[in-house]
Amino acid sequence: MLEVNGQTYAVAPRGRRLLAVLRDDLELLGTKLACGEGACGACAVLLDGRPVNSCLLLAEAAAGHEIVTIEGLSTGRAAAVQEAFVAEDALQCGFCTPGQIVSATVLLERTPHPTREEIHNAMAGNLCRCGAYPKIERAILRAAGEA
Amino acid sequence: MTARFVKTQKEMEGRYEDVWALVDESDETTSWKPDADLSLVGQPAPRQDGAARAAGRVRFTVDVKLAGMLHAAVLRSPVAHGKVRSLDLAAAGATPGVRGVIGPESELSLTTRAPLLAAEPAYAGAAIAVVAADTLEAALAGVSALALDLEVLPHLVDMQEGLNEQRFTKDPTDEARGDAEAALAAAAVTIECALETPAHVQTPLEPHAAVASWDGDELTAWVSTQGMFAAREELAKAFGLRKDAVRVRTEFVGGGFGAKQGAGFEALAAAELARITGRPVQLVNDRHAEQLDGGRRAATRQTVRLGADRDGTLTAIDVDAVVAQGQGGWVMPVLIPAQTLYRCANVRALTFPVKTNLRAQNAFRAPGVMEGTAAFEQAIDELALALEMDPLELRRKNHIDVDQVSGLPYSSKQLLACYDRAAELAGWATRDELRKPQPDGLLRGMGCATQIWWGGGGPPSHATVRLDADGNATVITGIQDIGTGTLTSAQIVAAEELGLPLSHVRVVGGDTGPNVYGPVSGGSQTTPSVMPAVRSAAAKVRKTLLQLAGDVFEIGADDLELRNGRIRSNDGAIDAEVTEVTEKLGDATIDGSGSRGPNPDGFVVHTFGCQIAQVAVDAALGEVRVERIVAVHDVGRIVNPLTASSQVEGGVLQGMAFALSEEFIVDPTTGVPVNAHLDDYKIPTIADVPEIIIDYPHVPDGNLPTTGTKGLGEPPIIPTAAAIANAFAHATGRRAAALPLTRARVLETLA
Repeated sequence: MLEVNGQTYAVAPRGRRLLAVLRDDLELLGTKLACGEGACGACAVLLDGRPVNSCLLLAEAAAGHEIVTIEGLSTGRAAAVQEAFVAEDALQCGFCTPGQIVSATVLLERTPHPTREEIHNAMAGNLCRCGAYPKIERAILRAAGEA
Repeated sequence: MTARFVKTQKEMEGRYEDVWALVDESDETTSWKPDADLSLVGQPAPRQDGAARAAGRVRFTVDVKLAGMLHAAVLRSPVAHGKVRSLDLAAAGATPGVRGVIGPESELSLTTRAPLLAAEPAYAGAAIAVVAADTLEAALAGVSALALDLEVLPHLVDMQEGLNEQRFTKDPTDEARGDAEAALAAAAVTIECALETPAHVQTPLEPHAAVASWDGDELTAWVSTQGMFAAREELAKAFGLRKDAVRVRTEFVGGGFGAKQGAGFEALAAAELARITGRPVQLVNDRHAEQLDGGRRAATRQTVRLGADRDGTLTAIDVDAVVAQGQGGWVMPVLIPAQTLYRCANVRALTFPVKTNLRAQNAFRAPGVMEGTAAFEQAIDELALALEMDPLELRRKNHIDVDQVSGLPYSSKQLLACYDRAAELAGWATRDELRKPQPDGLLRGMGCATQIWWGGGGPPSHATVRLDADGNATVITGIQDIGTGTLTSAQIVAAEELGLPLSHVRVVGGDTGPNVYGPVSGGSQTTPSVMPAVRSAAAKVRKTLLQLAGDVFEIGADDLELRNGRIRSNDGAIDAEVTEVTEKLGDATIDGSGSRGPNPDGFVVHTFGCQIAQVAVDAALGEVRVERIVAVHDVGRIVNPLTASSQVEGGVLQGMAFALSEEFIVDPTTGVPVNAHLDDYKIPTIADVPEIIIDYPHVPDGNLPTTGTKGLGEPPIIPTAAAIANAFAHATGRRAAALPLTRARVLETLA
């Protein structure tokens, strides 16, 4: 059993990673596979409120924990961050964006007024090959009411 | 439409071909004046699909799920060069869940691109066999069951060794004007630099991917590509189909940067396996495969010899480039900057495309020109040093308004304005103060570099605009938005021309189904090719709408104007919502089609720019930190400053990483790349980002139809690495013989 976005799902993990179960069984496709090695953050989800790379976590290990994906965050919890990302153009191709939103949302929940350095520390695990970083930083500051 | 054929030149990343261009004489031909009163063009607008992207709702090729869809896994060569001794296709086929297997000897229904699979793989990562199964796990089990046995053959990955053995993918080229050797011998001041640039991997976060699904003899393919029409053409040819029997869908692409051209191996293999199995097939590169076989910018070794008069006048340029091509591919224009950046009568440029046991190199944002600029612009700084001349002054001194390869003038060139603005923004005049001892103990310096690229676009490019009774317009284009924001730029241009608010215009693309052609997203040609077509289509709808408004209000159409969703008469008597006219359409629509006219004869179209970098060097740790990049690029009229600055920031960051951290490393002993993963191939993170200051001359190119816009995809990546390397040299007084400026290389250079 997996608890995802407040719903309980019966799944057969078969030794697969949480990311594969989310995408293939639950069709929660906002969470992306980009490296599969825990190096890029495109697959970030929340596990009991902490951002984790779902490509590195066996689905079985996630059982009994509360999982929130980008779909779960997009019903209101991440609204301010998402609006700021759009307004600042903090996304280009959009492939890394769900992971960026997951990390940024948690950052702002824990640190409502982050410094640049705190933003860098919190977001350095989310790679963006298009190079939207300057605007991601601005979007986070904007969502924090500081830009 | 009134159709006519004209002979024109079509340019793609510096390759020109003579083509017939279809010209529609009913197209809009007047350009917006430089001071035109535009209400939307030039104003920042968020992406029309931004909210969907930010919610993770957009569907990329890797997200496509079809009923009964199979998953493909690829067996790739573990060695740089080998020969398949045995491959157990039957065992793979008998693996539970496996539905189809193809290997080098399999009979295929596709007829082009032979061989699709390699019996003698010539690089690590070359595809040998593909297995399609109910699940990816089953497909991977099938790949294991193939039990590949390879005979390992000798490999060559060192470009010097390849040069010594004269192993080339194509004949070396020798381009010359004047007599560079004699001019060098006679020059008052000469310098010589040998500089290496690294192999550089595009690394899109969405890897190459395709899904193919057959319905009888009709094929639908979702392809993560920069050129969906090229993919359609390739698939139709490969399977002997009519063009309209192939539909390619490419609504969202998770980055390409040049690497994703046409159908690619993925779509061809997926379509083949889908045909064999009678089921839809998805093929997605895993990250290791993407880094090994997605493509790369080739490593180069360039030697630059320059001669000048005492006053800085360039008299001789003698350059050669050894390019590690891999197995082949187009030979990129590495030495174009040397041949075109500055006025010089005596130039010789030798290019040696060496064949190595790596994948064929392919396009990566400003292919050739970026790595060429990285070396040549460092040499220009060495010349400035030898002349004891300000490096920007030396560049200004050798400015030229004519393309020295074709002899034709540039359609527009605002480079001198770029130099002035960049110098002002960067504080260039006081740059030597940075070299005074700093309280933090770091060595600081500032360097500049010049950018040249094409980016004029051209025909063919088409668009259709449809206005509905509710006053909303749909723009149908043939473009795939790979993250550049092109669809939003088209939205702005259409809304401007239609006199409608932005929210009333929606642009669609990413599907060859409507058969409205758009160009490949590459070569900085999308915006300049597509925007005039969109504007022309919208102009026709606007004209019709005003005629209909004339009927409704019983006034001549010429006495009416359309702005911000309202129709007004010049005398002020009529002031009505557009819907007062459009609602009378009922179920009818107002349609207009537009196309891109040719570029004017007698000019070449280029983009230009200047970047200035400020760096801080920790001499003890060997760390180079970029503190600021000023980027000023002349790309004509800016349609959307918000997405334009995103392009510039992205280009600068990729260029910065080329200078500091990205290097695709091949083990010479095995010939196998050792950092083909995201944890060891170091693309930048948010913590690496310098301050980036962006500006433009804002001078529309009056010779370009009809929007005055040039492309901005490639320009910002081009000068960054050279500017950083020049700033490093200014800070430390040393120049590294190779990029990137890793800690090891910096410590070695400063030792």
